[in-house]
Amino acid sequence: MDTYTLFAGQFLPFNERYLPGGHNACAGSGTALALRHVYKALEDKNADLAQARWDETPAGMFAGREAAGAPVLIIPKAGENRLYICLDAEAAEKKISPEQLIKKSPAKAAASGCLYCATASPSHPFDLIEKVRRGWSAAGAAYIHILCPCPTAWGFEMENTVRIARMAVESRIFPLYEIAEGHYNITVEGVRPRTVADYAGRQARFASWKKAQIAALQEQTDKLYAQLQASAAREMN
Amino acid sequence: MATKSSKQMTAVSKLLDQLIKDGKVEAFAAAEKPLKPVWDKLVCARCALCYLYCPDAAISRQDDGYFDADRDLCKSCGICHRECWFGAISMQEVE
Ligand code: SF4
Ligand code: SF4
Repeated sequence: MDTYTLFAGQFLPFNERYLPGGHNACAGSGTALALRHVYKALEDKNADLAQARWDETPAGMFAGREAAGAPVLIIPKAGENRLYICLDAEAAEKKISPEQLIKKSPAKAAASGCLYCATASPSHPFDLIEKVRRGWSAAGAAYIHILCPCPTAWGFEMENTVRIARMAVESRIFPLYEIAEGHYNITVEGVRPRTVADYAGRQARFASWKKAQIAALQEQTDKLYAQLQASAAREMN
Repeated sequence: MATKSSKQMTAVSKLLDQLIKDGKVEAFAAAEKPLKPVWDKLVCARCALCYLYCPDAAISRQDDGYFDADRDLCKSCGICHRECWFGAISMQEVE
């Protein structure tokens, strides 16, 4: 064994169950990348992905307004339980609004009975894979909300898909956390957060936003993140 | 793998419907001279990040432990080039 076989990536399965003949998504599609990671996570789990089906995420009880209309992959588990994987490309509304950016779905899903809920981003593949596996092995229904940047609709260079996803996490507008049986846990906590302005400045969809709007979004993001930290800290004591 | 057709579907779910349908994959309408990733084995540390981040699953591990892309599957997005920490991948015009 040489030094480089110790890189974490080398421990993942290298066979490709994910559409080996290619697919029709655009170049640099965040949705396709997230889906590939989901397949990777369930590769050795006996998950019957042929039985998985697509639907639209229902608004209301189960998912927040921001996820309404986003495609959701429904994977049957043992018993009547399901693993719901929402691929959120923030495309439900023509113009981007704060409601679309702030995710309420995981908390809602937890409140409506999902035992394991989490947010995930394809920029953090190990975190994503771990969460999908936890969701799979949870004793009840599980919900994973994945952010899928879309170069065309969001307006950035297609080579930056993973970067933009990472920035969303770093700017804390899309924090990575999980709610396991009601217990909050922040899984990726940046040391030096980015500003929301930095994240927004790289995407054409924010071009019409005023400085004040960005500042308001920053304030809202900080407030929600503080709340999240408080819920996570409460669990620790 | 059926999707609801009654409801108006968003562009994304339509895309996904296409994405996982068992039908033929349409030829990707690429730029005239698409740039493809080329690996520099002297620089590559075999960390597998490029492999992990390719949305088209075009990159695979070769027998020697290094990576290479299937040029037919690759859509020239440049993510692998962008994400390699070591700068081992360059996008080049290849025949
Ligand atoms: S990301 Fe770069 S260093 Fe890592 S395996 Fe790919 S080419 Fe090599
Ligand atoms: S350019 Fe894009 S599609 Fe081609 S190998 Fe790199 S990541 Fe994959």
